[in-house]
Amino acid sequence: MSLLLWQGGKGCNFYKLVEHYQGIEINMGNRKTKTERGWALQGENSDIILEMKNITKVFPGVVANDRVNLEVRRGEIHGLLGENGAGKTTLMSILYGLYRPDEGEIIFDGEKRVFSSPKDAIESGIGMVHQHFMLVNKMSALNNILLGYKTPGDPLLDYEWAREKIRSIIEVYGIDAELDERVINMSVGEEQRVEILKSLFRDVKLLILDEPTSVLTPIESERLFQALKRMSEKGLTVLFITHKLREALEVTDRITVLRKGRNVGTLITKRTDEKELARLMVGREIDMKIEKKRVEAGKDVLKLENVYARNDRGLMALKGISLSVREGEILGIAGVSGNGQKELEEVIIGLRPVEKGKILFNGEDITFSSVRKRTRLGISCIPENRIETGLAPSLTIEENLILRDYESFSRNGFMEFDMIEAHAEKLVEEYGIKTPSTKAPARTLSGGNIQRLIIARELSRNPLFLIASQPTRGLDIAGIDYVRRKLISLAEEGKAILLISEDLEEIVQISDRIAVIFEGEIRGIFDRENVDIDRIGLLMSGGADN
Amino acid sequence: MRIKVERRLETPKFIYILIPLASIIASLIFVGILLFLIGVNPIDAYSTMIYRAFGTKFGVTELFVKTAPIILTGLAVSIPLRAGLWNIGAEGQLYMGAFAASFIALYLSPPPVVLPFMVIMAVLAGMMWASIPGVLKAKFELNEIISTLLLNYVAIYWVEYLVYGPMKGKEVYNFPYSDLFSDYAILPRFFGTRFHAGVIVAFILAIAIYILITRTSYGFAVKIVGANPKAAEYAGISRKKIIISTMILGGAIAGFAGMMEVSGLHMRLRAAVSPGYGYTGIPVALLARGNPLFVIMAAFLFGLLYVGGSAMQTTYGIPVAVVDVFQALVVLFIIGGDFFTRYRISFVFREASA
Ligand SMILES: Nc1ncnc2c1ncn2[C@@H]1O[C@H](COP(=O)(O)OP(=O)(O)OP(=O)(O)O)[C@@H](O)[C@H]1O
Ligand SMILES: [Mg+2]
Repeated sequence: MSLLLWQGGKGCNFYKLVEHYQGIEINMGNRKTKTERGWALQGENSDIILEMKNITKVFPGVVANDRVNLEVRRGEIHGLLGENGAGKTTLMSILYGLYRPDEGEIIFDGEKRVFSSPKDAIESGIGMVHQHFMLVNKMSALNNILLGYKTPGDPLLDYEWAREKIRSIIEVYGIDAELDERVINMSVGEEQRVEILKSLFRDVKLLILDEPTSVLTPIESERLFQALKRMSEKGLTVLFITHKLREALEVTDRITVLRKGRNVGTLITKRTDEKELARLMVGREIDMKIEKKRVEAGKDVLKLENVYARNDRGLMALKGISLSVREGEILGIAGVSGNGQKELEEVIIGLRPVEKGKILFNGEDITFSSVRKRTRLGISCIPENRIETGLAPSLTIEENLILRDYESFSRNGFMEFDMIEAHAEKLVEEYGIKTPSTKAPARTLSGGNIQRLIIARELSRNPLFLIASQPTRGLDIAGIDYVRRKLISLAEEGKAILLISEDLEEIVQISDRIAVIFEGEIRGIFDRENVDIDRIGLLMSGGADN
Repeated sequence: MRIKVERRLETPKFIYILIPLASIIASLIFVGILLFLIGVNPIDAYSTMIYRAFGTKFGVTELFVKTAPIILTGLAVSIPLRAGLWNIGAEGQLYMGAFAASFIALYLSPPPVVLPFMVIMAVLAGMMWASIPGVLKAKFELNEIISTLLLNYVAIYWVEYLVYGPMKGKEVYNFPYSDLFSDYAILPRFFGTRFHAGVIVAFILAIAIYILITRTSYGFAVKIVGANPKAAEYAGISRKKIIISTMILGGAIAGFAGMMEVSGLHMRLRAAVSPGYGYTGIPVALLARGNPLFVIMAAFLFGLLYVGGSAMQTTYGIPVAVVDVFQALVVLFIIGGDFFTRYRISFVFREASA
């Protein structure tokens, strides 16, 4: 019933409908909807595996979840959408036993539950892969999977049994990982697969994935979706958080949208579209039609000449990179991650030694200059790995906002706390960082707001040159829109920008030139006027250019 | 009933105050039980301690005299601790300071400028001694806990060798002492007690270090390194420089403590210049969570124990080593208490859902 209303009401007063819709859902009770489920993928016998009722969670100064109701059916892929800071991670953390709700109840698998720890949740059949991974870096994938698990024959670890079990999981779902590789040597995609294996190994019934695709390449995402669909076929339920509407529409059966901590509607994926979802999430329309004006590119700001550098494992990761970024231009680096992007970023900001070759900044040789010197020259960087590199999570938002320029916020060696506070207030406002206080530790920010913090810091430095590595990863649509526009306006002011992104669409949308990186080499550079997506795709995967 | 241990994501603020307090109280109770077992009424013993420390002018000034070096070693541990380093070597740095100061006092320098010169050399010696583990850590990632700890033995035995051998005094019979310093090399004393000028300097230093680490950009850099070394590198802060400089700063302060002890108290170099003040700095820094103002408070607690400990020795014949026991217990409880910042214990009386 409610669905019909929903459909019919698309053009009418939207908010009234949302309220209406919600009202009806609550009045209906949960079981009654059964009759309407002819269309559902699972057919008539599908039932409800999870019900979260009236969940409220208050953090100092923020209501992260405000009387949220969520209902998930067995075997479905349920999407969870919402702006940065809408409360998605919090809601899932409550379900996973990380936080206690202030109010509300959880009914899982037909029983009322209070999960007081992830261990509880896992034992009851709920697994979660976090936005930021939680593996032990120095251990192998296998040991990470086994950590805390009792194999038959406990206290001895039965590795053979475990390998066998993992192998069968890999076979069924197609989620592959090198079991004997240490996590520290893994790409993020691989790390994520280990996390998923870890949950599946524990025979979970419900798997929560918090923004799994924000760190994946399109191909990896596609693989993940295949796996998710297989899971759903096998009766596993998946709760899937994402900011990418297209993905949500592609892979889910139903979608719940959170806004400002509230559930503003649960929709059937087949009967909704991107526009509607966007409006529900943000409350206004975002066109995302961005166009970069062609600025006459000026002189070279950053120039790399035949640069070689090794990765953490000591292998050559950059093999003779030559490129230049000019005033007023955005140079996009397209490529599948793990092909030298991280090393390129680090070599330019000075964190990684150059083996051979030269780096010039405005004509000055900075190949061996310190990070500090380069920062002062006007090089900014939005690093790929925000939590590990870009942030000191235990320090306050204020302190993190001056991380790279703390010396200019001091006089005669003494910190100017008033100035620091004013600076933070201004940036929090300007970049829409959602927080109750600038003195809260940065780790209390939501994933997307951490990203905003870093972007705010790097852009507000007024740099001459900016490396933006996956700058819109983890941002909601409004945030993506904002950042892309901001990058463009920076370039139009005459700044030089190196955009490293796995999102080919993003690169094509805002770059003036596009360089394709593969196995540490630049395989081709294209002007925007004559981009050939197919050819870029081919080069990205190592195909020859001819 | 079942006991449940749960991980917490949010740590309530009061825990950070509760843990040190509870650690102190638990240690007091434990030591009380020990005292009881050897036939001493713990209440009597503790009240004797309190009385000795606060009851007389002598007691109060002694409290300050014993607290001052602990403040300094507490600082020597705290500063590197803020950068995430464990300086277990304040004791050795103190001994090297004591040695350098004594060397100047006994053999070099014209009388009128001898005091400042002693201070400078003691500070330099402490710095030098602390720079060894600092550099090894910065350059080769050598674990500073081990290197600082081992260097303590080197320093302590070095001083012992000197006072039994080359620096042994002419008029000290068979004691492991050097000769007494000349009057110029002795810190001024006040109130007709052992309260010497060094005590005042210790307090001033604590405040100065507080300002340094909370108000200056250097202190901010140290904080970032302590919070996330990788982010510090990215912020252009050289982690190596911070490692070496915090160690050296800690060493300088411990070195000064050594000078203060020989020049303010013993008036000569001797074996056992310090009854373990360098090690006492560790629980002090832990209790204070690296904050110099809290270091002063925590140092008073241990100063009280040292004063009371010697009172107990004279009154009940209990060895001063009881102070070491207390100290060790506090460290254990604090480290154990750290568990409670991350986990929550609850008692489940009946299973909520089977
Ligand atoms: N531990 C915490 N302490 C204080 N506030 C918190 C904490 N965790 C989350 N919050 C706040 O709760 C709100 C919701 O955060 P949450 O992480 O659930 O957002 P989200 O929907 O996952 O956003 P994103 O898409 O950016 O990841 C935010 O305003 C955040 O600042
Ligand atoms: Mg989140």
